[in-house]
Amino acid sequence: MKPECSRVMDSLGGPLPADLSSHVATCADCRSLLGGFDALGGAPVAPLAPPAPVAPSPGLDAARQLALKELATRPKATPWWHELLVLLAVHAVVLVGGLLVLGRHGIVGNRASPLAVMGVAALTLVLVGGGTYVALAPLRRRWPWTLVLLAAGVVAAAQVVGGSGLEGRPFLDGMWRCMGSEVALSVLPLAATLVLLCRTAFQPVRALAAGLSAAGVALLVLHLHCPDGTARHLVSAHLLPWLVLACVAVFARSRMPTRNHAP
Amino acid sequence: MERFCQGDSGAFDALFQRYARPVHGYLTRLTGSASSAEDLVQLTFLSLVRARGRFLAGSRFKPWLYAIATNAARDSQRRNRRPEELTPEGELPASIPDDAPGPRDSGLEQAVQRALAQLPEGQRVPILLHRFEGMSFAEIADAMGLTESAVKVRAHRGYERLRELLAALHQETQE
Repeated sequence: MKPECSRVMDSLGGPLPADLSSHVATCADCRSLLGGFDALGGAPVAPLAPPAPVAPSPGLDAARQLALKELATRPKATPWWHELLVLLAVHAVVLVGGLLVLGRHGIVGNRASPLAVMGVAALTLVLVGGGTYVALAPLRRRWPWTLVLLAAGVVAAAQVVGGSGLEGRPFLDGMWRCMGSEVALSVLPLAATLVLLCRTAFQPVRALAAGLSAAGVALLVLHLHCPDGTARHLVSAHLLPWLVLACVAVFARSRMPTRNHAP
Repeated sequence: MERFCQGDSGAFDALFQRYARPVHGYLTRLTGSASSAEDLVQLTFLSLVRARGRFLAGSRFKPWLYAIATNAARDSQRRNRRPEELTPEGELPASIPDDAPGPRDSGLEQAVQRALAQLPEGQRVPILLHRFEGMSFAEIADAMGLTESAVKVRAHRGYERLRELLAALHQETQE
């Protein structure tokens, strides 16, 4: 779209300045645009008659009464960041609890270099915090899919690249243990996330970010605790369940009722 | 809005009086059904009360309210349809069922309703908000969570498509 076309759009419904009129005369797109606009009812700002009845509608009055009743029940608005803090607290409790339970004989079992362990842990922690924010913060703009997928890709790549490469247990044994732990540790964060997600309009990208973040708590626990650092183990037992759990979150949210439709 | 956030029912009443009917009109055009629109107005204002803590200070109220109304309509349609009937983006399909009479009705309003119903949701919403609710593209961008240029592109395509559709409908009624 040329800048002139954009200005024509801004002028729809009003008189066109002379320079724009000459542009319209030479621009087929703008002529189509004006044709479509005028086809909706001719003159500017002459919308179709509103379909709502002129007399006060019982339906609208019922809506008003219901809303007033809700307002009387909860007169004080709860700021959105209260829910963010609650969810971050749940994530923190599961993270610390998971590390304490799984790491009875030493919290950090990862045998990669301390720098790599800390770096990947920090990156995963940023994903958990950022994903939680994306999931719950009121937004003026939709988050782009590419950003969320890129963040997930970066964390996944960091997990594999930052692995120790050492095998600690037989492959299948280690895989089932880590998968089981990851699923078990994700139950509470996912449940809390889904409950809070239902308090906003359903947006798949937001649900995906929330799922990645909630399951990311277990991913972080496993990253610190698990002594297996082979790429095969990390992909099949850590990353695959993480991605599957995130997809489950999107699917579950799409099936759950929405408590309110605010963005 | 500030007084409403503090639980002032008078402030809510003022907002309701000002916006209930326009929102009802918008939802009727969006869904093609006045009775569904009434239910959706109820959901919209209930959501408005429940979610007032999510309203960002300094932002515009009208686009926010219309975003809630659009989300409520989308959610309602999503629940009444099987997933395979939605587009891959989770939006409403191009053609929605409506309360309008059959295709031979020649009234302008009916023709426009039918033409609008054939647009994909991504083009229908900007046109409804721009042409019928008198919102600027900046406000529509706020309501849809998109950039202003993205909204203009969608509206542009929608108006072009409407011109074709209305020309075809006009020709059909002439025959």
